[in-house]
Order: sequence, then C-alpha cells, then structure tokens
Amino acid sequence: MIGKVKALAPYAALLAAAAYLYHDAGAFASAARPGQLGPDFWPRAVLVLLMIVCVCEIVRRVVFARAAQDAADAAPGAHSGERDVEADASERFPWRLGAGIAITIGYVLVLDWLGFFVATALYLALFMIVGRYRRRRVIAITSVAGSLAFVFVFMKIVYVSLPLGAGPFRTFSTWILAMLGIR
Amino acid sequence: MDETLHQLALGFLHLLAPANAASLVVGLVVGMLVAVLPGLTLVMGVVLALPFTYGMGVTSSIILLTAMYLSGTYGGAFTSILFRIPGEPLDVPLLWDGYPMARQGRPAQALGWTLIAALWGGLITCVCAVALAVPFARFALRFDSPEYFAVVLLGLSGVVALGGASMTKALVSLCIGLLLATVGVDDTYGVDRFTFQVPILKDGIEYLTVMVGAYGLGEVLTRLAQGFASPSIEPGRKVETRLPRWREIWPLRPTITRSSLIGILCGIVPGAGATVGSFVAYGIEAQYGKRRADLGTGIPEGIVAPQVASTATVGGHMVPLLALGIPGSGATAVILGAFLLHGVQPGPQIFQTEAAMVYTIFASMFAAVLGMCLLGYFAIKPLIRVLQLPEAVTSAFVALFCFVGAYSARNSLTDLWMIVIFGVVGYLFERFRFPIAPMVLGAILGPIAETSFMTSMIAYQNDWTIFFTRPISGTVMVLTALALAYPMLRYVRQAMRAPREIVKSA
Repeated sequence: MIGKVKALAPYAALLAAAAYLYHDAGAFASAARPGQLGPDFWPRAVLVLLMIVCVCEIVRRVVFARAAQDAADAAPGAHSGERDVEADASERFPWRLGAGIAITIGYVLVLDWLGFFVATALYLALFMIVGRYRRRRVIAITSVAGSLAFVFVFMKIVYVSLPLGAGPFRTFSTWILAMLGIR
Repeated sequence: MDETLHQLALGFLHLLAPANAASLVVGLVVGMLVAVLPGLTLVMGVVLALPFTYGMGVTSSIILLTAMYLSGTYGGAFTSILFRIPGEPLDVPLLWDGYPMARQGRPAQALGWTLIAALWGGLITCVCAVALAVPFARFALRFDSPEYFAVVLLGLSGVVALGGASMTKALVSLCIGLLLATVGVDDTYGVDRFTFQVPILKDGIEYLTVMVGAYGLGEVLTRLAQGFASPSIEPGRKVETRLPRWREIWPLRPTITRSSLIGILCGIVPGAGATVGSFVAYGIEAQYGKRRADLGTGIPEGIVAPQVASTATVGGHMVPLLALGIPGSGATAVILGAFLLHGVQPGPQIFQTEAAMVYTIFASMFAAVLGMCLLGYFAIKPLIRVLQLPEAVTSAFVALFCFVGAYSARNSLTDLWMIVIFGVVGYLFERFRFPIAPMVLGAILGPIAETSFMTSMIAYQNDWTIFFTRPISGTVMVLTALALAYPMLRYVRQAMRAPREIVKSA
C-alpha cells in the first residue's frame, strides 16, 4: 500500500501543481488582444497536456495495477503486496545525500561573503568528506590547489569576475589574486 | 557539389589556425576522458566544457564540443571491453561481445575491431553530414512559421517517443521543460508569466541552468546517494590494440552497411541518438546477421555493429542542428547553446552567412575521427589511469564546474540558486526514473515552438488547420502523429496484456 502511494505521489503532486498554475495563468489572460490568442494560451495548453498525462497515469496505476494485483493474487503461490518498482534500491546513503545538498546550499549562501577561493576550498573538502573519502592530506591539498586552479583559469584566462568576498575575506582574496598575478 | 568540396577544403585550411587545432586536440582528449569515467556522461562532459568556450571564438567553441562528442562515442569502448565498466550507456552492447572476446584472451583484437568500427562510422557520418546539410538547408528555406512549428513538434515528439522506457514519464518531463520556458516576460504581449512577484524570475529561467543543474549536479547527487560505488579497474590488464586484416573486415560488409544506416538515421531523427543507435544496431544484428546464433560469444559483428552505429549518429545529429537549428539530443542541445551564447543562430541561412564556420566545423569532424582513432591506438593507456581517481574527488570537481559554468554566463548568484534547484530536480528525476532529456529539450525548444505557433495563429487568423493544410507542415504533422501513435499503441497493448500474462505465467 505504501509502495503504491509512493508511486502515485509524484503524479498527484504534479497534477495539483498543474491545476494551481492553470488557475494562475488566468491572471495574464486579460492582456490578450481581441481576436487573438492571449499569453495564457500556450502555458495553459501545456498544463492541460500535463494534467491529462498525470490523470491517465494515476488511473492506469490504480485500475491496471489492481487488475494485475488481482490476477497475481489469484495465481497459486503469489506474493502479497505490490513491489514498488519506482523506488531505487541502489540508494543506500540518504543522509549523505542530505549532507551533500546542505553543503551545496551552504556554498551558494556563503559564496558572496567568504569569496570564491575560501568558499570553494571549503566546499571541495567537505564534499570529499561527505563522499566517504578519508585521506586528509589529499583532501587538504586537492581542495586548496583545486580552488587556486579554478581562480587562475577563470579569472586570468577566461576573464570571469568571481566573487571576492566581504571584509577580511575580500582582503585575503585580493592577496591571493596578487599572488597569482591577477589584477 | 564542387562548391561544397571547395568550401570543405577551405574548412581544412581554417582548421589549421592554432585556436581551432588546439580546440580539436583538447576536445578529443577531454571527450575520451569523459567517456572513460563511469561517473561522467558524455552530455555532462559537454555541458561542463561549455563555460570554457565563453572566451573563445564561436568556431573554436563548436570544434571543441563536437570533438568531445565524437571521441566520447568511442572512448567508453576501452573500459567496457577491458574492465566490463561501460563509461556510457551507449557502450553497454559492447559488453556483450567485446568483453567475452577480451576474456578469451583477445583484448587487443576486440579493441582493434572497435577502432575500425569507430573510424568507419565516423568517416561515413561526416560524409553524410556534408552531403545532406546543404540540401536540408535549401529545403528549409521554404519554411514559414507553420512549418517551423511542425518541425519543432516532430522533434519534441521524437524525444518523447524514443527518449526512454516510459512514454508517460517522458511526456511529463517534456511538459515541465515547456513550462519552464514560459517563465518570465512573454515575447508577444510583454506580460509577466509565472513570476509570482519574484524579481529573479522576471528574466526567465536560463535553459543553461536547467541543463547544467539537471545533468551535472543532479548526476553528482545521484551518485552521492549511492555512496560513489562505481566499480574499480582490475590492475595489470594489458591495454593494446591489434588492427584486423582486410580479409577479416571484408566479410563484415553487411553488418557495417546496416549499422551505418541505422546510426545515421538515428542521428537525423530527433530523440534517438547514440545509445538508441547502438542498441538498435545490435538488435538488428541479432535478428538478421549471418552469425546471429554466435552473437554474445565474443564475435566481431557484436562489437562492430553497436560501435559503427553510435559513432555514425553524430553527423546525423549535426544535420538538423545546423540546417534547422533543432537539436536532436542532449549533446547537440549543448552545442546549440554554445552557438546561441556566441550570438549565432543555426538555421538554413547559416550556410550563406557563416559558410566558412560551418565547413570548418565539418572539416574538424573529419579530423576528429582520425584524431580519436590515433589517440585510441597510441595514448589510451595513460587516459585509462583516470579510472583510479577516487569518485568523491572527481564528483566534487564536477559539482564545482557546474557552479562556475553557470556563474560565468551572467556573473549572477541567482543562476547558482537555479543550479541547486535543478540539481535537486535532476536527482528526483533520476530517483523516480524520469528522463531528463525531454525536459532540457523542452526548455530549449519551447520558446521556438511557442513563437512559431503564436506567429502562425496571428498570421492565419487563428486557423489551426493551417498546420495540416500546407504540404510540408501537413506531412510533418502526420509524421509527428505517427511518431506518437506507435509507442502509444504499444504502451496500451502492453498495459492490457500485463494482467493476462501474470495469470498465464502462474
């Protein structure tokens, strides 16, 4: 039962979101010129298609899966319960995934404050640790050298203005840039 | 024809320019590396290379990405045959005959067959791209907005029909991509759509962030959730290539011809591609091949068919990309992105306005085929060492490339947030087995589809039958209906048959 709900959840969520957006699209329908299709037509057409697909899939899963389940139950020696084919059995480290997403969000949050060099070195090191890599010296060297390499390639060669940070971090970033010969 | 050959010769001369030649070499090496690494897909590699092209000229940029694309269809063969690690999904059929041949003590022969297949597939696809692109473009000059809409619709339906196992999921993915393309200020009326009073959404959602986030960061998060559990290489396996003799190659003519045609067709049809081509070629060989009974035991036909087809798709993909501006795969979508970032819109006019660039790209494809084979023959040993790098380290750098790549486009932190959002979306897509390609192509082709649809409606007084009554658009619409109807019928039939088969098997 839980497996079936899990399998239906993405479609139900999409259906609800599509219905909300369809309603929201009504707000910009008023801009339409007389005799012409309005700016709401295209997104609404796409939303209708999305809703149809979701409804069809939900019906298919409920009706056909039940028919298949009934048939399987009627068969001798059949297992009870539906196997959730959607769930990825290979997913074994949900907390690592959570930590990975958290440090990724954290990286974007602190990038403007810490500056690219410091934030990137920290991000690389933390990501390797979360990814179960344990050689501390390699982590330290790779993350610092990698961050320096990115600063050099993107600021000196590709001419991208990467964030320098604020306060003391800005001073530090400027010193790093001077060390690398970037003005 | 003379004009085409003349332009191609000039293209070879332009290729000798240091920037173009350097892009070619770097593209070949990086494409090979990307294909060897199981954690990096070919599309992801091309996406990650995109930011490096911002400071380059448009020709060098496209040469870099195309060379990566071509060599990426070949590099994964080494790890599939030698270590049973398919670097790319398209390399999976190589496991079925390539690895058994290697296990029988003939790894050098297996690699030799792969090289010959990649060389032939690559050269034939380049010849076809050069021969077909101009007629394709001339034909496309007759297109008006209804034809463009019909062609884009065919492209999108092809992605849905051929994009994956579940048509429903592909349709959902496509709709999400099309909706993402509608966010921001509408082109026709100047109205805000789905911005929810959030200023950053007014500029719309850059397809680049959708692509980099979903393909790049999404894949990294998926592998992180799996604990970075890629298989490692067996130490001590000898890496060398022994080319087959002419009298060994000659009997494989039917296999090579069939697979070349399959590859080129899969390239031209939007949504198919190297992986589909590789599997279809192996499947056709299993049904019609002379030695079909021996397939799977380590025979050359089982190596040649998928390799020829997968490499032959590349030129096929370049034809609609250059002649119509319509990408048929994830990698060509990135290449289209590179064109647009440099202010060049591929389409029929490009053969008149940017002929030198187009033929330099074609010339680079010929050179890339030869280069990747030379690289595979002489330099694959050091490249394969990349497999010994810890996946946690390479993935950390891949994630960083995604961020820097997205940031470089507009120097905006907003794009980084988009990367995070689409990274999570990409992970969820992988988690629930939704294909990413339809979403990305929807985000790229959505604005073209909407603009051509709305222009048609304004020009033809809301007469929607115009798409069916004009000869070219009508034909394309019928093809679209067929492309969608066949998998739909198959899908319904399978759904109806499933309960009966359970009872029967019980």
